[in-house]
Amino acid sequence: MTPPSFDLRPYLEELERFADGQMTPAEQAAFETRLEQDATLYQAYQAYEQLTADLRWVAGHETLHQRLVSLDRRLDQRQEALTRIRRRQRKTQQQWGAVVVVGVLALLAIWMVLRPAMPTPEATWARYYVPEAGLSDTVVNESRRPLLAEAMRQYRDGHYAPALHTLRRVPASNLGQDTLLYYSGILLLSQEEPEQFRAAQPFLRRVAMQSTSPLAGRARYHLGMAYWRNQQITAARNTLRAVANDARNPYQDAARQLLRSEALPQE
Amino acid sequence: MNSPQQLAEVLTSLRIGNQSYLLSFYEQNRDLFARWARRQHQLTPVAAHELLRTVLVKFYDQVADGRLTKLPPDVRAYVYGLADEQIRSAHTTEILPKDEAGRRQRLLRLFRQLGLDCQKMLMYFYFRGYNFEKVAGKMGFANANVARLQKAACLRKLYELRMRTEDAGR
Repeated sequence: MTPPSFDLRPYLEELERFADGQMTPAEQAAFETRLEQDATLYQAYQAYEQLTADLRWVAGHETLHQRLVSLDRRLDQRQEALTRIRRRQRKTQQQWGAVVVVGVLALLAIWMVLRPAMPTPEATWARYYVPEAGLSDTVVNESRRPLLAEAMRQYRDGHYAPALHTLRRVPASNLGQDTLLYYSGILLLSQEEPEQFRAAQPFLRRVAMQSTSPLAGRARYHLGMAYWRNQQITAARNTLRAVANDARNPYQDAARQLLRSEALPQE
Repeated sequence: MNSPQQLAEVLTSLRIGNQSYLLSFYEQNRDLFARWARRQHQLTPVAAHELLRTVLVKFYDQVADGRLTKLPPDVRAYVYGLADEQIRSAHTTEILPKDEAGRRQRLLRLFRQLGLDCQKMLMYFYFRGYNFEKVAGKMGFANANVARLQKAACLRKLYELRMRTEDAGR
């Protein structure tokens, strides 16, 4: 340990009053005289000066220390507040994100439920195709042409394949060539398979090209419809346009209706 | 604050007790220092902040007691160097023997044993240089005379603490 220092206590109050400028001029002059004459008082004064110099150093050190600690606390609080704000912003963003996602999903669900149903090709076909009525019993004259009558009956009942089979057994002498070709085309077109639609086209085309045949106009309509059913859009449109422009064609209105609709895409 | 003239001004203002340079240094460099201390010495942010405070006080002491007469051109590098040194000494040496501890360091320890009001009062008077009237205003005393009496009591308390410690050490 350091050697014992001078005990200031008896002098402390007086030294403080002197150092802090609290003495009257007369007291100060007297004190200064004593300092010059009293060696013990001078020693006490030296010790006091050293103590206050040390104390100034300590006070500066401690002031900085405490100010830094206090600043540190403030910075921590600011950082915490910023973190809290950022967390809150993130949470709000997430909530809004969830709201938007839910909204989009809800709109999607509503659209799925309410969207207009796309018509199937079969429904569109049934809507626009005007089927051939078939030959009437009077025209057929059953007693004279029983096989033709049987074929027409099967056609009207929707048995197209057997009707076609029966029609092919009708003797050529009993029925005009254009009629045979026309109904062969109709019976093929009435069936469900794509091969049958395609197979119907040559029969109907041949009749449509026979300008002298009374069935030519009707065959043109069914040929146009056969193209449409086979997705040959350009051919279908051209053929049906010819039908729509033919005032004598019994299918003129049907062809116009289909051309006006969206069922037959534009070229 | 990088030109030599500005650095010289910093040193002068620190010597007369203006600590704002070190406070703003702390505010601007605290997070950066914490990242450095985590990488270099695996310190937690709290420990790094404490280390930076200690080092800045040490730096201030060097200026205040005249050991540092020229401010280093790169204050940040200097402070980091002090921090390195501080950590190395903490790792390699024991606490200094009592006999080697300086008189001021002993007084500092005693100062910290005083009540907070006494500490504040002595800091206002001996460091900030406030007169008794201003001290009375800051501390909420009735007048300057009360402040004077309180300051005298605090100084006496500190001095008696020192006497007691010296008696106990003998």
